[in-house]
Amino acid sequence: MKMYLNSSKMLLLTRIALKHAFPKTGLSSYFTKKSTFRIQNVYMYSSKASSSTENVYNNFTDWETLSRKKKVSKAMKAYLERAKEHDEFMKRQQFEFNIGKRHLANMMGEDPETFTQKDVDRAIEYLFPSGIYDPAARPLMKPPEEVFPARKAAEFDEAGRPHHFLFYTGKPNFFKLLYDAAENIQLLHKYEDKVIRKKETPDPNASLDLNASVWLTKDQLEQMLVEAINDLEYDNFKLVMDRLVSLPYSYRCKEFIEKYRKTLSTQRFALEIPKPSYDENGCAFVTTYECLRKKARGDVTIKCPGSGKITINGQDLTYFEDTQSREQVIFPLIFTGMENKVDVVANIEGGGPSGQSGAIRWGIAWGLRSFVDKSMLEAMQVAGLLTRDHRRRERKKPGQPGARKKPTWKKR
Amino acid sequence: MIKRCIAQPVKNAMLFCRSNSVASLPELSEVTHENTKALSTNPLDHPDYFQVHNLFTVKDLFESRVHYGHKEGSLNENMKPYIFGSRQGHLIFDLDITANHLRAALNFAAHIAYRGGIICFFNRNALNAHLVERIAQECGEYAHTRFWKGGIFTNANHQFGAVTRLPDLCIFLNTQNNILSQHTAVRDSAKMLIPTIGIVDSNCSPNLITYPVPGNDDTPIAIELYCKLFKAAIARGKEARMKFLQENN
Repeated sequence: MKMYLNSSKMLLLTRIALKHAFPKTGLSSYFTKKSTFRIQNVYMYSSKASSSTENVYNNFTDWETLSRKKKVSKAMKAYLERAKEHDEFMKRQQFEFNIGKRHLANMMGEDPETFTQKDVDRAIEYLFPSGIYDPAARPLMKPPEEVFPARKAAEFDEAGRPHHFLFYTGKPNFFKLLYDAAENIQLLHKYEDKVIRKKETPDPNASLDLNASVWLTKDQLEQMLVEAINDLEYDNFKLVMDRLVSLPYSYRCKEFIEKYRKTLSTQRFALEIPKPSYDENGCAFVTTYECLRKKARGDVTIKCPGSGKITINGQDLTYFEDTQSREQVIFPLIFTGMENKVDVVANIEGGGPSGQSGAIRWGIAWGLRSFVDKSMLEAMQVAGLLTRDHRRRERKKPGQPGARKKPTWKKR
Repeated sequence: MIKRCIAQPVKNAMLFCRSNSVASLPELSEVTHENTKALSTNPLDHPDYFQVHNLFTVKDLFESRVHYGHKEGSLNENMKPYIFGSRQGHLIFDLDITANHLRAALNFAAHIAYRGGIICFFNRNALNAHLVERIAQECGEYAHTRFWKGGIFTNANHQFGAVTRLPDLCIFLNTQNNILSQHTAVRDSAKMLIPTIGIVDSNCSPNLITYPVPGNDDTPIAIELYCKLFKAAIARGKEARMKFLQENN
């Protein structure tokens, strides 16, 4: 028993390690990344998509023949075969995942019965610390149904008749969307005619506010429709939707329109701004640590009722000898108009004057967020004061004098 | 010159049409007499089992402007037999011939529906595309009014990623892809032995169409009429099928 356990553990470890080394290859079955969003959509669209309720004929499946015995079409047979294969595969993956989870629990010294997905994630992070920047490329262990995208269910019935009336276009969901939009446009035209005939005036309050949202991007739309569309088709989508929105009574199709719009995220740093702390004199201050630029590292403290005094490593602004660096440091203060209202204390080390002044500039701007209003915050964002500059020195390349510089080229 | 070119074939066509003019009356009386009996026999033995002849009259066609062809210069040679004449430079279809062809087409569509076939509507005219799609949906059938990707019929397993059943009947409400070229699906259906019904205007070729119906394929009101007729014919076919299945299963 112990032997088995050990070997299985080894297997698990190698699998995880392999995944770690080749994150894109997907060697091990359940260590891959895939979002669950897609899966839900597949289910949403794969069932009978045509919603013609008045159509009594669709309730009827035995279309193939008029004879008594049911005949299953070739298409359905092939689909059933594939579905069976897929089911077996998923069952095997589920089994392997459960065993792997138990081993992981044993390794972590916890009870396998109460080992949840959260514990699994924690264990993987502990056992395989990863410095890979992209979270999607880090090792992970998820249930197989989250890893493998759900297959489209059969798009046709037993007689081989497709469920969707636009099936033969190859992109039924997308063209159904265009069809629905055109249908809505026609309905709105009819409604407008009716209103004009009755000589009514349109309700001024009822209108569609679309300022806070944008159309789904091509990728989002593709994900929603579970179909690949090309640029031209995406342009057509936007064109027809814009036309629908431009109609005077478009608010009547609000539900349909909003399905394909995404709300813009509101001020994203609104929540993260720290409240200033107070020292023994009742003076508000904010300290920003880890102010980085090039090789410079440091922290910046901003005290609010102040006189514009700047202290850098115990010296004043003359710590920097060149004017450019001094300008860099005072730029956020001048931009916000706080140059005489706050005191700045900065400790900085490493790098040269340009890196140090850049680090302080970012630290001051970051700290000032706590003392300025929302409109100024947006202005700072636009001016690029709150953007971190991640650029580092590029290494020298062999065979050339610098990172990019090449020796002088002479033909002969 | 053009008039003279057309005059002779037109005369021939008129003679042909007069001699072959199938007044629906004899059939009608036959059907009404044997109506109850007909339903119990094999539908294929009956000339008009679903009685599609009473779906429309020539007057309906006339009022829906089915008789308007294109200008004389764009005439396709193969469409000559269906032309009645020309008026102010525009060709006029002989609606008696059109009515015969349309009845044959409707009868065929009804039979396909009765047999449980898949019917696909085609139309590349953006003006009428939405109408055609709506009718297809109401019939419980299929529509393709978009750009035709090559190989949907001829390379279906690759296009749809699996074994796929193709339509059993294609109904073209216009057979042209644009004014210059024919719809590729006409050729592909012929290749795959899928029967086709097509509304052919005076500038289209009826050669590859199994059931050509000479008539106006641009005017929305004409397309509306065709759609209404095909919908009715398909509904009759399906009704008969349901009835049959309920009785026999």
